[in-house]
Amino acid sequence: MFYRETGQFKSKYKEELAAFPLAEDKVGIAILLVIAYVFIPIFGIPGLSFEFTMGAIMIPVFIFTITTLGLNILLGFAGQISLGTGAFMGVGAYSCYKIMTIFPDLNIIICVILSGFVTAIVGMIFGLPSLKIKGFYLIVATLAAQFFLEWAFIRVAWLYNYNDSGGIEGTNKEMFGLIVSGPQSDALTRYFIVLTLLVLLTWLASNVIRGRIGRSWMMIRDMDIAAELIGVRPLTAKLSAFAFSSFYIGISGALMVFFWLGAAEVESFDVSHSFTYLFMVIIGGLGSITGSYMGAALVWVIPVLIKEIGKTAFGFDAFVMENFSIIFLGVAIVVILIVEPHGLARLWQITKQKLRLWPFPY
Amino acid sequence: MSEKNSVIMEVKNINLRFGGVIAIQNVSFNIFEGEIRAIIGPNGAGKSSMLNVINGFYHPQEGEVWFNGEKRPSMEPYQIAKTGIARTFQNIALFKGMTTIENVMTGRQLKMNKNFFWQMLRYGPAIDEEVQHRRRCEEIIDFLEINHIRKTPVGSLPYGLQKRVELARALAMDPKILLLDEPMAGMNVEEKQDMSRFIIDVNEEFGTTIALIEHDMAVVMDLADRVVVLDYGKLLADGTPAEVQSNQAVIDAYLGVPH
Repeated sequence: MFYRETGQFKSKYKEELAAFPLAEDKVGIAILLVIAYVFIPIFGIPGLSFEFTMGAIMIPVFIFTITTLGLNILLGFAGQISLGTGAFMGVGAYSCYKIMTIFPDLNIIICVILSGFVTAIVGMIFGLPSLKIKGFYLIVATLAAQFFLEWAFIRVAWLYNYNDSGGIEGTNKEMFGLIVSGPQSDALTRYFIVLTLLVLLTWLASNVIRGRIGRSWMMIRDMDIAAELIGVRPLTAKLSAFAFSSFYIGISGALMVFFWLGAAEVESFDVSHSFTYLFMVIIGGLGSITGSYMGAALVWVIPVLIKEIGKTAFGFDAFVMENFSIIFLGVAIVVILIVEPHGLARLWQITKQKLRLWPFPY
Repeated sequence: MSEKNSVIMEVKNINLRFGGVIAIQNVSFNIFEGEIRAIIGPNGAGKSSMLNVINGFYHPQEGEVWFNGEKRPSMEPYQIAKTGIARTFQNIALFKGMTTIENVMTGRQLKMNKNFFWQMLRYGPAIDEEVQHRRRCEEIIDFLEINHIRKTPVGSLPYGLQKRVELARALAMDPKILLLDEPMAGMNVEEKQDMSRFIIDVNEEFGTTIALIEHDMAVVMDLADRVVVLDYGKLLADGTPAEVQSNQAVIDAYLGVPH
């Protein structure tokens, strides 16, 4: 009743190829954008403090959505599995730190984007094994990348400017007279910057995957031999997927340190984080942009909310709640994967399909 | 059905070995422009290997492939695809995660060339290119009568339709030569009739040269202009269906006698 394509005729291929061919989808996206840009900055999330909403929910969820988008491009669209996500975020963060040190006057947004390019190059180098090996063997190769990069973050003191703490730290950065990053920056400013980057990156990703290059990735994913006989060069397709994916992951790593945590050490980029991002992609749904949003939000928000509720409503010790939230997340993952192995995105698709037919069952 | 009988492709003295196994032994034959050429033979005769040699998936130890009057250097499959050779597979090799239209669009991959920058913006040249190729794909989809499944993920389609989508994808490449590896395997009579009709239509309407492997002799004898018979990697016979059918060696090795 509310979600119908009936009567929405397209007379040009261009109209049908639009990002949201259905009027209902356009309205839905517009509402979501208004909520993100107007409603949440003004009212926050009802029942939660503004500080908490921004610092513990919205900003990290947006940043991890960028990570998940990046990993989903590689895993869900190009079919190349990687366990090095955590370390690639580290590459983004450390290279952003180095770029900021070398060019102190450079706009921080440009630094972040440049660090994305650095990560893309590193990702391409560590993607080279994918030309020869697949599946489980590729996991091992990317795991090697994870451990090698972690080692580099500790041992190569140049990366953290030889400081004693061994970590990297953001300083106050101004843009248009406004402090946008560092200890004195306002959470709301950072929120808008991260949100805008997320919207922009989502738009670019959705464009790429619907076009020639995205199709070449999916061809390699689904049937690499046929892809090659149709004219896709495996080298170009696989390495471009690694580069594009790492670009996103690198940007999210730089954002995580300089727009959220403020400072980071090597522990923020270890292999357990890589697994968390993998969970986000799988729970959200492989090969789905909407799924990347849902997966990142669910996996991040559930533990945070459980901890918060336990602390404020029941007065439980934070340590107890920490364990409880891990148990709950584990159960949630298992249940979701049994109910719908293709993730939340598929559930959402089924819902939309039902809405199209509503009130009839079929 | 070419009258002038110009050779578009010729394989000369192909020898293909896998270690000690001889898959193809000194086989030569040619394909005329615009004809339907069948390759038949018992299982393991080297028919599919021959197609794999033609589209560059196997590199023969000896022998030459001549295409368009030129000797073809050793090339990778994606480069050979560019020269205008398309194929379908014995075991369907569609992109299962994509819809029918997306699968057909992949056939246009080589004809699209707008760079990453325009692809990211999906604006201007990139979208124009997409629309232009989409038009051609829709024509092929209409031609093969698969418009009703345009937006269905191919993984959920029945076998016969999947075969037809695969043919559509190969046709979308606008090939000079179309290689069909058992296009009618596992089909019932009705589906075979449909497929035969499409193969003839493609040959006559687009003028595409077709080389096909098939086990159904009735189909082969009806469709093909000329037939190559392989047995144990060797060339057994080459000629019109009538000639091949009356060849004693072919009857002994493959066709048998009606009981």
